[in-house]
Amino acid sequence: MSTLLNSRRFRNVAIQAGFVVIILVVVVSAVIIGRQNLQAQGATSGFAFLHRATGFELGFSLIETGPFDSFGRFLLAGLLNTIFLGMIGIVLANVVGLTVAVLRTANNGALNAIGTMYIETFRNIPMILQALFWYALLTSLPAPKQAYHLLDLAFFSSRGLYLPGLNVTGAAAAIFFLLLAAGVVASVCFSISRRFKSMPNVRRSRIRWTVLAAGVLLGIVALAYGRVPDTPVLSIPELRGLNIRDGVRIPPELASLAIAMAVYGGAFIAEVIRAGFISVGKGQVEAAHALGLAPWHVFSRVRLPLAIRAVLPTLINQYVWLFKATTLGIAVGFADFFAVVSVSISQAGQTLELIGILMLGFLVMNNIIAFVLNRVNKAIALKGTQLRV
Amino acid sequence: MTDVAVSISHMNKYYGGFHALKDVNLEVEKGERIVVCGPSGSGKSTLIRCINRLEEHQEGSINVLGTELNDDVANIDIIRREVGMVFQHFNLFPHLTVLENCTLAPMLARKISQADAEKSAMMFLERVRIPEQAEKFPGELSGGQQQRVAIARALCMKPEILLFDEPTSALDPEMISEVLDVMVGLASDGMTMICVTHEMGFARQVADRVIFMDHGEIVEEAAPGQFFEAPKNERTKEFLRQILSH
Repeated sequence: MSTLLNSRRFRNVAIQAGFVVIILVVVVSAVIIGRQNLQAQGATSGFAFLHRATGFELGFSLIETGPFDSFGRFLLAGLLNTIFLGMIGIVLANVVGLTVAVLRTANNGALNAIGTMYIETFRNIPMILQALFWYALLTSLPAPKQAYHLLDLAFFSSRGLYLPGLNVTGAAAAIFFLLLAAGVVASVCFSISRRFKSMPNVRRSRIRWTVLAAGVLLGIVALAYGRVPDTPVLSIPELRGLNIRDGVRIPPELASLAIAMAVYGGAFIAEVIRAGFISVGKGQVEAAHALGLAPWHVFSRVRLPLAIRAVLPTLINQYVWLFKATTLGIAVGFADFFAVVSVSISQAGQTLELIGILMLGFLVMNNIIAFVLNRVNKAIALKGTQLRV
Repeated sequence: MTDVAVSISHMNKYYGGFHALKDVNLEVEKGERIVVCGPSGSGKSTLIRCINRLEEHQEGSINVLGTELNDDVANIDIIRREVGMVFQHFNLFPHLTVLENCTLAPMLARKISQADAEKSAMMFLERVRIPEQAEKFPGELSGGQQQRVAIARALCMKPEILLFDEPTSALDPEMISEVLDVMVGLASDGMTMICVTHEMGFARQVADRVIFMDHGEIVEEAAPGQFFEAPKNERTKEFLRQILSH
């Protein structure tokens, strides 16, 4: 017996088994106690409410929703809004982050100062305040009748930003963006995948562009199918009466959150990317200069690829974090996933189920982000041992 | 025109208050092989790094292949395309394959098509006897192999002049000769070479002139026979005693 207890193998198995049992006991008893308490209060549990009509409306939705639609559809709309805002916010934050990181690492005192001032200002103000600030700013723009406009094509008013668009259905637009994204992702995956490295470069680049073009073309086909009949192709906003008609309206709720994510998230991403630039070996940059590469090529072919490789794991962290910041939508009245769940809780009363759906939704979305980017990280990681000088 | 590859006159370089290079005068003809040696901190690396503007000189003039090296960015680009450099720590691009390391600059800075760049890269990789590693990444090669790739990468730009900055001093002893062999081969093909190195055997074998530097000055300049057998300056004698004593 004592020899069994002393066996390392046995101890490992015993500890793990004990751990699993404890977790099972905790989970099962939580469910049982929860059910008993709910029954004692006379509350019904379960997911039947998902099919009930909500009775409220959403301020912004990518799919059509109305008070007679079900909670299920509203939750889907909220989820889509969160993904939509998250994608816009993360992309913009990257643009801001890269720009500020370049400013801060430039060989120019004035640019460094601008970058540093940016970071120290926007990193240190809580994002909820920034969201409220941009919301206040956007909603205090003039009324539609006095809206600022650019060549009568784009209008900036307190009711939102109006941009020229296409007369297509929302679904067609969504499919277009999905196909476009799929084309870009497939072409990037093809470029970095090891499996196709042995292919001649000319053929590889031809396939890469074909894949991308296919995504764009299929997207355009989707747009053509989704055209709203009996309308011009282009939808240009114009002032009619007291309001602006046609065009694409970007509501101030969405715009203020997207700006806040770009400005606040961008400050953090800038610092991460700056760390990447600093980690790039001086020798590699000197070698690139010595070969006669133009400054832009030294940056785009040597410094940036090496910097991104150095910090991609940290960047993934930032993206996941920034994605969760979409839950601030509730502060300015944007119907993101969290906001829809919150309102649904007060309307339907199914707190546990709705919180469960909310948590599961974020777990799945953030795990997808992390999974995909970790694969990318693995695919582009430097091979072999690196000499650090 | 002239057969002068590099002409440096009355060049001074300062790092803040530190006078790194003092009134350096040097003329290198096309096809000449120069070895620069001297104790560490003597300014020999700084000298050759001034030739392709990795370091900036403050006074005097540097003329490379008829182009004056000054603040003019266009001039710097012209010179860098014609002057290849091999570094102590190889400085290959770790995210690119060996072949991509060799084709990057010809394609971007010389606007050569990918097919042509790859063809010529394979030719130079064969010349440094490493064509079978073309698809590998630098991190997967030994130090000696990496340095030979670095030489091939510099050669792919078809430079007029090659600068070597202590190319063997970061290598394990058994890998030094494979790199030196390649360098001897280049020398016999008539490449203009300026090498900072402590490989005195290499200097004896291929150098047309050996330059000894100390405290930022060129102290002695002589053909290798005379340099090793009858150095004139006391500091040169002391240096040679130290590095040849064992």
